[in-house]
Amino acid sequence: MPNPDEKRRSFEAEALPYLDAVFRVALSLAGEEAQAEDLVQETMLRAYRSWHQYRPGTNVRAWLLTILRNTFINQYRKAKRAGPTVDVDAIAPYTVFGDVQDVDPEGTFFDRIVDDEVLRAIDALPDEFREALVLSDLEGLPYSEIAEITQVPMGTVKSRIFRARQALQRRLYDYAVEMGYIPRRS
Amino acid sequence: MTDEPHDIDCQEALDRLYEYIDGELTPQRSEAVRRHLAACAHCLHLAGFETAYVRFVEARARAREVPDALRRRVLELILFEDGGTDTP
Repeated sequence: MPNPDEKRRSFEAEALPYLDAVFRVALSLAGEEAQAEDLVQETMLRAYRSWHQYRPGTNVRAWLLTILRNTFINQYRKAKRAGPTVDVDAIAPYTVFGDVQDVDPEGTFFDRIVDDEVLRAIDALPDEFREALVLSDLEGLPYSEIAEITQVPMGTVKSRIFRARQALQRRLYDYAVEMGYIPRRS
Repeated sequence: MTDEPHDIDCQEALDRLYEYIDGELTPQRSEAVRRHLAACAHCLHLAGFETAYVRFVEARARAREVPDALRRRVLELILFEDGGTDTP
């Protein structure tokens, strides 16, 4: 018979350190704080209930983020983000470097953009882009782990990350131009 | 030496740039990109720009932590869950 105290101790020691990661990914999936908080609670409760299914020594972060993602898809995605999904492969690779190389080749204008604006720009990305970008750049996951969580091949992960980064870069560049942080290319 | 990095052009270096920045390339492919960057000023500047951009996004986006109130609620949920395991 499992000892509840032992179960709780091992869950607290192994899973709870990833609560910040779960929260950040939840925020990017849900798009707003209140819903992200519900999603975090639901995810952690589900994780705790199925803690016996977690195999010690395997990747607990990937396990938690998989539960988070499934919870979101099942319960929240339809309600919240019904926007059109895009064919990410149809979007051509693009870097703003060509626009800034004469005025700011080191990209120092990025540093003037505040956190909230970055998060807003991430939030405005289409679903496939946002998910790949969040897992790679917010959470620093290797491509192989992102492929496992999102259940797509490595090549797809790679192309989503690239296009997500370039779409975000374009948005941040447009914002920086709008704010006068960098002159528009004439 | 069959695993000697082969010379790559600007397009191939660009195609592999994010994988290079992310440390996702094999040592041979990574070395091929590094050698191209050492020989091509344009790609070297582009790589510097893209690296700064990726590090910027990482730093900004990772700054958020879970609110204390939410952390407490999660702990309470788990405690309550154990208290209520006998009732479905």
